[in-house]
Amino acid sequence: MNLTRRDFLIGSAALAAGASVSTPFFLPRYHSDRRPKQSRVAVLHAEQYSQQLDQILGEALRLFPINVRGKTVVLKPNLVDYLPGNAINTHPMLVLAAAEAFRRLGAKSVVVAEGPGHQRDTQLVLSQSGYQESLRDEEIRFVDLNRDELIRTPLRASYTGMKQLWLPRTVLEADFLVSMPKIKTHHWSGVTLAMKNMFGIVPGARYGWPKNILHWKGIQESILDLCATVPIHFVIADGIVAVEGNGPLNGSPRPLGRIVLADDPIAADATCARLMGFEPERIVHIREGARFLGNSGPERIDEVGEIVDPPAEPFDVVPEFRFLHAL
Amino acid sequence: MALSDLRGELTRRQLPCGGWSALTSSAQPAVEPTCYSVLALGSQATDVGERAYRFLLRAQNPNGSWPVFLGDDHDGSWVTSLVAIVLRDVVPATPARLKGLRWLLSNAGKESDWFWKWKFRTTDRHVRFDPDKFGWPWIPDTVSWVVPTAFAILALNQLPCSCGGFELAHARVNRGVEMLMDRACPSGGWNAGNGVVYGAGLAPHPDDTAIALLALRDRPEDPLVQDAVHYLERAASVLTARWSLAWAILALAAHRRPIAPLRCALLALPDLFCIEDTSTLALACLALDHEHALANLGVTL
Repeated sequence: MNLTRRDFLIGSAALAAGASVSTPFFLPRYHSDRRPKQSRVAVLHAEQYSQQLDQILGEALRLFPINVRGKTVVLKPNLVDYLPGNAINTHPMLVLAAAEAFRRLGAKSVVVAEGPGHQRDTQLVLSQSGYQESLRDEEIRFVDLNRDELIRTPLRASYTGMKQLWLPRTVLEADFLVSMPKIKTHHWSGVTLAMKNMFGIVPGARYGWPKNILHWKGIQESILDLCATVPIHFVIADGIVAVEGNGPLNGSPRPLGRIVLADDPIAADATCARLMGFEPERIVHIREGARFLGNSGPERIDEVGEIVDPPAEPFDVVPEFRFLHAL
Repeated sequence: MALSDLRGELTRRQLPCGGWSALTSSAQPAVEPTCYSVLALGSQATDVGERAYRFLLRAQNPNGSWPVFLGDDHDGSWVTSLVAIVLRDVVPATPARLKGLRWLLSNAGKESDWFWKWKFRTTDRHVRFDPDKFGWPWIPDTVSWVVPTAFAILALNQLPCSCGGFELAHARVNRGVEMLMDRACPSGGWNAGNGVVYGAGLAPHPDDTAIALLALRDRPEDPLVQDAVHYLERAASVLTARWSLAWAILALAAHRRPIAPLRCALLALPDLFCIEDTSTLALACLALDHEHALANLGVTL
């Protein structure tokens, strides 16, 4: 076959164009595969917020081979706003119980840190949701991540196309980061659990309230980039009273009576999704996260504590996310 | 606790570079707390003010905007409005201020673009808003929100005339005012800027409402403004959060509502002196000297 210079140029151009279009679909958008061989999840039964949470959490943490002795532990609850009657925030009693448990395990310091995404007055959220007094009484330091010192941080995945984010020093320097989400449905992302909870580390002072840039870059994509960049070491999810329907702000309280602990955020979120009556594989950030951040399949998750049975009635969601309901 | 003590504490927190950090635990000079601190200290401390002005001029981006903090990227942010307000009477800073205001005029919420306008009209309609009524974003390439729009209105309203490249200022301010009215919460007042999502009305926030009310000081007869004032009066009477209470005092004073009980409530709050958040400490000073503060913000009584 004779190739003219013109054929060669046209062919080369077509090949280059084809490659540029198809490459993003073939190349992984994460930098490293961090999946553990096996993950561990504990589903605990707890009907109400009470002093008993100290004992429940203290015993449950012994089911995990974690070592926080001499380490700085940062607890990252989900405090988005305060709306009377809506259980939209991680309950302070669970956070206090976690702080106490990690102190007993020998942590050098335990800090509670959050950057509310909707309410600019962090102190208002803290005082109205019962955190301020509790933290003061227990002498637990709180860091407002919306206003903390910022460090330019290259992202370790490229789902959003952003190269970097300015992220708070307190989180970046933590030895042991615990994501403590409220188990909720979310009208933009389906669910908001341990992974989505990481939106709270993105500083409002730099990116605004809400953190609109993450919505423009893609919520699912931003969740993946954040979780790839700032590893979550442990999860304690508040599902004692969860939220269904038009979450994260205007949903309805849904008593679930569960706390979910996990050493892997993907395993935690997949388990929480099952507890909500959702199929985890249908949630984009869980499905994609299971390719490099953790495990979502039951065969790679050691379940301790209660058996995870889907609820008789799945969580209500906005119509766009009804496809999440397990068959 | 006297106002002079609070100002003294604020002065002590000034960093060697002339700026202030957002939190006492940080040494990263940031523009927002610096602006509130300068407004709060005013002419009380000339040397402090001079160093702060030099810091602000040093921090300006090449495109005329201001970054959120020293060392930030150079894209610009909403604090450009705040700096323009702070530099209003600083004659040597006039060229820098005008450059900042020009940047502000060139910046708009992403919904102002025809493509996104079309998207919000057709396929993305879960948040109720009119994309024709746009204001200013927190950072470029995002949509308009209440607080940056309110501060941009306050800053542009301080221009002495609409000449010299500012011919569009009046129209942009009017468009921004329309945007604020469009984003009000159904129950009165404002939150970040989402009044209704998925058919459900969201709750207003005291601070967002107060800042919007400052920008709308010249529209006291508007029913939406009156609803917001009523909401803020109710909310402020039980507030124990200093930031929101301080903003509420300023806004209610601007709308000629009684604020004496609120000032007493602010002064009675514990630990006012050791507030970790510098912006909140400065806001407390401003609220306790509201006439001076409102004049500096360009809000006439």
